[in-house]
Amino acid sequence: MDIENSNDIAINARNISKTFYITEDNYNTVKNRLFNLFNPPSAKEIHALKMMNFQVKKGECLGIIGRNGSGKSTLTRVLAGVYPTDTGYVNINGSTMLMNLGVGMSHELTARENIYISGSILGLKIKDIDLIFDKIIEFAELSDFVDTKIKFFSTGMVARLSFSIAVNAGAEIMFLDEIFAVGDTKFQEKAIKVFEKSWIEGKTVVLVSHAMPVIQKYCQRVAYLKNGNLEFIGDTETAVKMYQDDDS
Amino acid sequence: MIIRILQNWLGLSNKLERLWLMAKIEFKLRYYENLLGLVWALIKPISEIFIFYIAFEIIIKSNISNFVSFLFIGIILWNFFIECTSGTIQLLATKKYLYSYTNMNKLEIYFSVIASNLIGLFFNFIMFLIYMGIFEHGTYFTWHIIIIIPILINLIILSLGFSLILSNLYILAKDIQQVWGILVGLGFWLSPILYKLERFRESLPGIDFVNPIAGIIINAKNVTMYNQMPEWGLFIWSFAYSIFFLFIGILLLNKLGSKAAEKL
Repeated sequence: MDIENSNDIAINARNISKTFYITEDNYNTVKNRLFNLFNPPSAKEIHALKMMNFQVKKGECLGIIGRNGSGKSTLTRVLAGVYPTDTGYVNINGSTMLMNLGVGMSHELTARENIYISGSILGLKIKDIDLIFDKIIEFAELSDFVDTKIKFFSTGMVARLSFSIAVNAGAEIMFLDEIFAVGDTKFQEKAIKVFEKSWIEGKTVVLVSHAMPVIQKYCQRVAYLKNGNLEFIGDTETAVKMYQDDDS
Repeated sequence: MIIRILQNWLGLSNKLERLWLMAKIEFKLRYYENLLGLVWALIKPISEIFIFYIAFEIIIKSNISNFVSFLFIGIILWNFFIECTSGTIQLLATKKYLYSYTNMNKLEIYFSVIASNLIGLFFNFIMFLIYMGIFEHGTYFTWHIIIIIPILINLIILSLGFSLILSNLYILAKDIQQVWGILVGLGFWLSPILYKLERFRESLPGIDFVNPIAGIIINAKNVTMYNQMPEWGLFIWSFAYSIFFLFIGILLLNKLGSKAAEKL
């Protein structure tokens, strides 16, 4: 890593890896913990991510592709700072937000409260949120449900709200995990339009998708994962070709 | 100039604003969703005072002067501790939506819950002062009452420490909730809330140094009711004791809590 351009780096991942230990029987009680202190039940090891090194530059759109179970979602969570890595380190330069369907919202709170909390966590001040509040509601098409708890919302409504918060508030580094599946066709069109118009500029985006056209359209670089290994990172066409040619 | 730098920093960062926002919403969730609202915060200590008054003053006749105030101050401090500990054991599970999608610092969640409990404590404390000022005989306020502020800070550190320890152990063992319930039940009777201090010390020598909340309650009674200085030895001990628990709590948060998103 060059020191001179370290300011342009949004995420720097060095030697990261992640292993999950899954125990077969449930022993989450004080009694079982104590009885099994010196004799822990055998755990299945799942190597979700194996040693990888790479950087994400500020303002770039990095794609992540790979088959189911190849470690895409784990990788985004590690990069977003939600999961700790087992080895190495991840330097994150800015606030992050992880988006898949229905993100970061409490079902006990109203749409209004969720907007304020999410906005605040993403680094906005209350008065900035006041300014974009109407825009968020309007975009999510939820004007009649501002003070309704979102547990009464339909799945689509929740997804639209979270998408709208992300589009209008947005963290400096966004992780998008298959987000174009939100809402009905009409909302999807609207979402894609906004996404193209205002979003890509100036934001660091990590995009996870199985839809190659989406990846090819937006990403400058693509990482191809296979069984937890980073097989390739770089040129979009090469990565997509590797993914499509792989039939094992 | 220092003030300006501080203001600048507070103005630029939205951390404090966020804490306050989260505390307010937490508070609203707890009290405003039901019919009586904030009054509930008061009903609990009042009902407890009522029960203990009957038991200890009318039946057992323990003859403590101003027994209601004596109970009042002890019970509101104790209840604050319980709300901050028993009430937060599942914190990492219930507030998962806050940290599992962003890289926010988990400590902020704890601060906001403590702040929301503090709103309730302040409300009860004012009620206590009003009651003592109007209804009790022979009590008056002196400047000693200001020392309640460091005592409350001590209580906050202690509560935060236990809150961190318990909620992170919850990741390992879900039934820590029941274990803590038993400890709390025992702890209440081993705390100087109901008893005359001399009796308490005579019967259970040394317990005021073992029980981390005992010193806080003893000194709070000294400065609010008896216009005395706190017992400095106990005061310093309580502070050190609380900081020790906070230290363990933060250690556990870093060790266990960092994996909360994947384990819970």
